[in-house]
Amino acid sequence: MTPLDHLLLLSALTAVFTLAAGNIRSAGWIATLLYAAQGLALVKMWGMGYGPEVADSSISFQLLGQTMHWRFDSLSWFFALITVGAGFFSSWFASGGWADHYRAQGNSLRLFHSALALNVFSMLVLLASGDLLSLFIGWELVSWASFLIMGLASTRAMGYAMRYLTYAIAGAMAILMGIVMVHAQTGSFEFAALAAAVPGMSNGTLWLLLLLFGGGFGVKMALVPVHLWQAKAYAETPGPGAAFLGAISSRMGLFALILVIIQLVGIGRLVGMSIPYTFLDARDLLAWVAVFTMIFPTYIALRQHDARRLLAWHGVGQTGYMLLGVVIMDDLGSAGGLMHVFNYATYQAMLFMSVSAIMYRTGTADLNQLGGLVTRMPLTFIAMLVGIIGLAGLPPMNGFVSKWLIYRSLVAEGMPLLFVGAVIGTLGTILSVYKLIHNSFLGQLRLEHAKVEEAPWSMTLPMLSLAAIVFLTGYFPGVVLDWISALQASVGLPVLAHHLGGVHFAQGGLDMIWINSLLIAGIAIGALIFYSTGRSQRVHQLDNYAGGHFLSADVRYQYSDNFYPGLLHLIGPWYRKSFRWAESALVSLTDALSLAMQGLYRQVQPSIYLLITVVIALSWVNIR
Amino acid sequence: MSWQELLLELTLMPLLAFVIGLAMVLMMRRIAAQIQRRVGPPLLQPIYDIVKLYSKQTQISHGFIHELGIMMAVGGYIAAEALLPVPGMDGLADKGGLITLIYFLMVPTLGMALGVGQCANPNGSIGISRALTAMLAYDIPFVIVVFGVAFHYQTTNLAEIAAIQQAHGVSGWGMMEMPLLALAALFALQGMMGKQPFEVYIAPAEIATGPMVEMSGKFMGGLFVMQSFQYYTAGVLYTILFLGGGENWLTFLPKIFAVVAIPMTIAMLFPRFRTEDLVRLMWKWPVMAGLLGLAFVMN
Repeated sequence: MTPLDHLLLLSALTAVFTLAAGNIRSAGWIATLLYAAQGLALVKMWGMGYGPEVADSSISFQLLGQTMHWRFDSLSWFFALITVGAGFFSSWFASGGWADHYRAQGNSLRLFHSALALNVFSMLVLLASGDLLSLFIGWELVSWASFLIMGLASTRAMGYAMRYLTYAIAGAMAILMGIVMVHAQTGSFEFAALAAAVPGMSNGTLWLLLLLFGGGFGVKMALVPVHLWQAKAYAETPGPGAAFLGAISSRMGLFALILVIIQLVGIGRLVGMSIPYTFLDARDLLAWVAVFTMIFPTYIALRQHDARRLLAWHGVGQTGYMLLGVVIMDDLGSAGGLMHVFNYATYQAMLFMSVSAIMYRTGTADLNQLGGLVTRMPLTFIAMLVGIIGLAGLPPMNGFVSKWLIYRSLVAEGMPLLFVGAVIGTLGTILSVYKLIHNSFLGQLRLEHAKVEEAPWSMTLPMLSLAAIVFLTGYFPGVVLDWISALQASVGLPVLAHHLGGVHFAQGGLDMIWINSLLIAGIAIGALIFYSTGRSQRVHQLDNYAGGHFLSADVRYQYSDNFYPGLLHLIGPWYRKSFRWAESALVSLTDALSLAMQGLYRQVQPSIYLLITVVIALSWVNIR
Repeated sequence: MSWQELLLELTLMPLLAFVIGLAMVLMMRRIAAQIQRRVGPPLLQPIYDIVKLYSKQTQISHGFIHELGIMMAVGGYIAAEALLPVPGMDGLADKGGLITLIYFLMVPTLGMALGVGQCANPNGSIGISRALTAMLAYDIPFVIVVFGVAFHYQTTNLAEIAAIQQAHGVSGWGMMEMPLLALAALFALQGMMGKQPFEVYIAPAEIATGPMVEMSGKFMGGLFVMQSFQYYTAGVLYTILFLGGGENWLTFLPKIFAVVAIPMTIAMLFPRFRTEDLVRLMWKWPVMAGLLGLAFVMN
């Protein structure tokens, strides 16, 4: 058995175990240990993280003269590391107090844990795919597994999950058509055959392939304009499940996109495929899709007042940074985009967990019903603070490094409008994450939350471990960049020269060890100044300036609803719901078509059929 | 460079920034007094203010985050000064350039926002909501400028940007080569420094000075120090990008003082803009000037 077999076997074992014994009290802990074991199996394949090693699986099938096989390379290894890590932390979070609470609400823990394990397993199978056929099978597995975990919570969640499934099936059909087209052209499902055939293909064929594959993978990534399914479906998923899905699930689309479009088709062809009557080529098209994916969902997130939806919409938006970085395709940009996959997974999982912890203690994620929780749940606050600094992409967290790489490469490549678009997305993120932390943890503590306790250790420990990862990989980005340069080499992108602290770059580099030490030293001096002067006196939150009035506990003295009125007064009318309108138009069109078809085959008047046959026959004769 | 020299630079740079920043505060007050035909404060008034604020009896704290916010606001700027090259001292300019600095400067803002949030006063929160909206407004023209400058000089290293300009004399200054970008940056600067007409987030009569409403004693003192750092940072950054940076302190000081004097002079001419008007204005004229300037730079 090869190391890859061990990994897949362990993952399958986790799924079987949770399915069989998911209801026992310690099931979550055992599952967490099994995820840790999968992590160890990945560590055994360490060579892929740092070099061009490839591991084959000993399993393969012969099907209609085609071989289906599975293998791991640096690209798969990097994504698998994040997948297993996200599974590990989510399962840990879901093991102690959260599990009891979840069960007490009348839900089945077995369903939750097995859905999570199936997700991890199906993603590993997808990541291991060695040809287009196994890619498609992995893709379908992932889609159905996501559906399983999304539909757990409520009837409403099931509705959103069904919507996801509709999108996913449409996407899968596009991918299937693409695969069939490749087979028709090359007679094989092998990656190598496609790569070999690309130079001989006409631009028209390639455009069709690009649209089919890009569209199909784009649905999973929730790129604009097929982004509508994601946020609500993720937000309604039970807490740790949302953390897992938010962290990694949509990245499978990016993985497949890198595999098929970047690795097999290659940048040279993409730049050569120009769009008629414009100055744009295929790469610009992808880059602009990425930028719109950053901007629209981020500003939709700004308007949410459910913390989970706010985070989920940001999840859609952050995908744009990853895609943008990857399609710039130089060493800095692609490293930034790929590093963002890792960084984003770490803080998004943590943010969803912190919101789950709030819900666990207060029963709500409505940002207008919370406030002042920092005094009651300080550890959860730290997790959310680290998370929002990461999500907003500010130093000292890891999110800054990946965004810096993307910005720097846009400057180096001379792409000003994409740069400005990316910054608009980041600014919107800063506004919206401040609203998140202000309305939940800062401001006035509500009377009914005065006795709320900190979340149990089974929830705070995974959050704090993730916070440590977010901070440390921001301090030493070279750790992640090592894996990424191996990945870049394996998919044929230019490799980023880096060191432990960042990048040396003659025209202005980045050294996070210095930058972060500087920031910490500065804040330490700030603290020294603060504490060495006069003594301050803590007062009650109601001992506050209120224009001459006395505040009492029943006075709601918190600013939360419609947090940015000035901005929304201006940009509010720009929210046109055009995408939702387009979606419903499509639904109506399909409805009308299906009605017409029904009308045809349920028609009881035989004369209609006679008429149709005559018309067809006559027109056929005429054409002849 | 030996580590002793570096340590000396890292100590001197924030100290100088602090002293110069205080002088800028004094200058601004004097300008305002001149325009309003008042006498204005004496030379040491900023120092008296700081001593007074830090030694007040009443120091109201609303909790640890309130205090942490002040530490981040002051400490973030102390750290940021080491990234801004001045004559004779480059500090850590080569460890993180222009883009890093822009993001670095958001840390003190975030710190202040967190601290104000903890105060549980809606006036403060409304002030922060307006300040962040204003940031979204003026940062868009500003990043256009940042991109243009970085692309024009093909580097994000601030020390190099200054060196390239100095090599070509006054005609090589960014202001001469990229006048439209310099204009757009001046617009953004006005917003960044929170001067009229862009000071709706303070609005004393309406929201009781916004973010400062719960700040007493050394908390207010911290914000005062932060503001003087902010003036200094804005002046130096603009000077490096468009006025050739500093070859020596004799030419450098007049430049940075002139840069911060401009917004103050303009400030007195305008009433206060509402938030949405501020955003509309910032997204229209400076963005147009910036994009046009960018078009000239790019070809």
